[in-house]
Amino acid sequence: MATFTSSAPTQRPLTSQEYRYRQAETGELVGQAIFTALVVVLFFELGVVLFKVLGPLIQSSPRFWGSDLKVDETLTRALANALTLLAPFAAYVTCGARLRELAAFDRRRAVRVALAATIIVYVLVTMGQYVFQVGPFAEKPSLEMSFRQTDEGVLVTGVVPGGTADRAGIKAGDLIVAIGRAPTTADELKEKIALAKFESKIGLRVSRDGQEELMPVEVVPVMEIGLAPLVGGLILALILAVIALFWPGGLTPYVLMVVIMIPLLVGYLWLIVATFSYRTEGLLPVDASGNFGGFTLRNWEFLTRPGTSSYPSIWRITLNTLVIASLMAIIVLTVSSMAGYALSRMNFPGRRAFLSLTLILHGFPAVTLLIAIFFILRNIGKVPVLGDYFGFNTRGGIALVMVAFEMPLGVWLMKGFFDNIPWDMERSALIDGASRWRTFWEILLPQIRPGILALGTFAFISGWGAYLIPQTYSVGTRTATLAVYITQLTGDTAPVNWNEVAAVGLYQMIPVFIIFIFAQEYLLNIYAGGTKGTS
Amino acid sequence: MKIVLENLTKKFGTVVGVDDISLTIEDGEFVAFLGPSGCGKTTTLLMIAGIYRPTAGIIRFDDRVINQVPPRDRNIGMVFQSYALYPHMTVFGNIAYPLKLKKVPKEEQAERVREVAAKMGIANLLDRRPAQLSGGQQQRVALGRALVKQPDVLLFDEPLSNLDARLRLSMRGEIRHLQKELGITAVYVTHDQVEAMTMADRIAVMNLGKLQAFDTPDDLYDRPKTLFIAGFVGNPPMNFLEVEVQREGDTFYAVNSALRVPVPAERGEAAARHGGQVIMGIRPEDITISETGTVRGEVFVVEPLGRDDLLDVHLDAANRLSVLADPAVHLRAGDTVTLALDTRKVQFFDPQTELSLLWR
Repeated sequence: MATFTSSAPTQRPLTSQEYRYRQAETGELVGQAIFTALVVVLFFELGVVLFKVLGPLIQSSPRFWGSDLKVDETLTRALANALTLLAPFAAYVTCGARLRELAAFDRRRAVRVALAATIIVYVLVTMGQYVFQVGPFAEKPSLEMSFRQTDEGVLVTGVVPGGTADRAGIKAGDLIVAIGRAPTTADELKEKIALAKFESKIGLRVSRDGQEELMPVEVVPVMEIGLAPLVGGLILALILAVIALFWPGGLTPYVLMVVIMIPLLVGYLWLIVATFSYRTEGLLPVDASGNFGGFTLRNWEFLTRPGTSSYPSIWRITLNTLVIASLMAIIVLTVSSMAGYALSRMNFPGRRAFLSLTLILHGFPAVTLLIAIFFILRNIGKVPVLGDYFGFNTRGGIALVMVAFEMPLGVWLMKGFFDNIPWDMERSALIDGASRWRTFWEILLPQIRPGILALGTFAFISGWGAYLIPQTYSVGTRTATLAVYITQLTGDTAPVNWNEVAAVGLYQMIPVFIIFIFAQEYLLNIYAGGTKGTS
Repeated sequence: MKIVLENLTKKFGTVVGVDDISLTIEDGEFVAFLGPSGCGKTTTLLMIAGIYRPTAGIIRFDDRVINQVPPRDRNIGMVFQSYALYPHMTVFGNIAYPLKLKKVPKEEQAERVREVAAKMGIANLLDRRPAQLSGGQQQRVALGRALVKQPDVLLFDEPLSNLDARLRLSMRGEIRHLQKELGITAVYVTHDQVEAMTMADRIAVMNLGKLQAFDTPDDLYDRPKTLFIAGFVGNPPMNFLEVEVQREGDTFYAVNSALRVPVPAERGEAAARHGGQVIMGIRPEDITISETGTVRGEVFVVEPLGRDDLLDVHLDAANRLSVLADPAVHLRAGDTVTLALDTRKVQFFDPQTELSLLWR
């Protein structure tokens, strides 16, 4: 980016925008920046007024919310306060942001203009704050006396003549030993004052010449301002304006994204840290005495623990889960792709009814059907051969039940994908000489590949993480899945090692995580295949 | 291959898509199905292709009834408006697919695909996928796929609608040329009458599921048998005026509140024989703006078409004419013009039956 100076004019022709800026007087530019900043402030203040007006309205209107309306009141007040607090900063940022176009080709001038505008806006804002007694000019509760901590107690170092402390009879040199009956320190007293309501009284137990006396002092509102916050505020304002001037705009979405992601990332980080430590304090692993450290592989010992009759090995459990999830994915894919094709392409009696019915099933809570399904599974179990694989307490049976709950989604999803393939594609294949089955297999299925991969992944993951149905229909440990295994770890009878639970959870998450890395393209990129040869 | 349709009817539930159509397409003939959208022309085509089964009637290829024959056994090639290329296959795969289904040996497949591709001018694109091709190229691939199995019948379902105007023009000629060269019977569905007029040997005009006419382009234009055909064929469309034809000596005059023009004796006589009010049709190109004209009117709208201006001229409240005028004259709305009507090709229709009084 070239910088221009008046002595060395550039060879490059000016854009109309540059020309406009070059023609503009500095005063004019400053004025524009200030105006925009003030408009922004005005919007913020409008918000404040709105919340202040809206607050009482919300609190007064709906009776059925009951008497406890504090939440709404604090909410509106908090929003109003936040807006009041943010308004000046928004103004300073605006001062800078308004001049970004200028900064693109004349940095020095942009900085000069931005700083000038910011200083003026700062003065205006500060004046406004003084008039409305907000921000640094807000009234704070005070006892109108100064004090400091000494070995004997809190020593009063001075009182404002005629102030509230003076009126209560406190003199410089008095020693405050307690508030009411509670012994106190200077810090505690300061906090107590800061939190006190105006016109309430704080009872100070004062020791003077060896005599203790309780002196109630009224808390009064006092405007206390030092030079420091004002100067600090100005410097902060100038820095904000310059940052806004040169902030790379492309970064904004990333910054927002990272900020929003932080809670999620912290959650995962915590989970990982927890599995490798005895216990954690916040995110920090600590040892028995509470110091940093205490790393251990103890939580991961479940991987090598051999299976017993009551406590199966993790590998057996993993195999169970894998079998159930894969079985589920395969059945869901096969059935719903064919059903979706039929529903999309063929007209048969009851088609609409079937579609609505599956939709209802999709919304049906699985819990309500548990008992009925139990009887069905038990009866399937009595059928020779079939019962051994799909009856009660078999992996096939569990997969079958979960398939039933997954199917409505799958059928609708597949139908949607088939609906997006133009009829002409199929007609073309039929005329080219393909049978109906071959058309389905060779022409249509390849075109809904993303849908198939998405549904397959989806079914596999939901089978992998399923809890309710495996827990209900697997008795003992022969058919337990990972989710069931985790429940066994959190039994009521023994103390729970939550860090081990976290480790098994993490172990269970690994395959899902890997699948997501590879399949996210298909899960996200659901495309409508090929009328005009799109692929 | 000769195609015969006999009383062909297709109903979708209670909706009649195609209503009792009978026609014969001769071997090697290029026939266009022309009509507004929803008139049943694509439905008819899909019945010929075997995708739809007729509700009633018979379809014959030569002498063989093929109502129950599945599409793959009819040996037809079809080109769709959307091209319907298989997006997951290469151009080679697309063109070879019909051969693969016929279990043609691999070497022969490759040879025939290359042959067709060379003919279509897409030999250098065989490794591409449809998405990597332009609209015109996709069109050629679709045509190649239809031709590669050496079909007896070629079916086109508005194949040029998705192309831009220039490409459409050149493809028109190419398709026509190919069809003649190979001598394959072709059925071409379109709603674009220029396409139908320029390409087809005969045009089947359809409306509301019914066959309105089945004639050569010239006959349709010069000897329209119904009011619908007269109004549908030709652009800008024919003007219609309600007139009474009167005889004075040997001369016949078409008369109404706005005009009185002489008409040729043999045409005027047929109209006069019908008596009373008839509908007179006259094409815009048969009307000229002239000092010596006998009909006066006011220019209402001017639509510049480039080579001509299309004028909407109001003669009076009930009578209006579309007229082509030289743009150099710079006529504007509100101008008064005198028109000369060349009535040599004038048409007369019965206002009730909407049938021509001149042609049966």
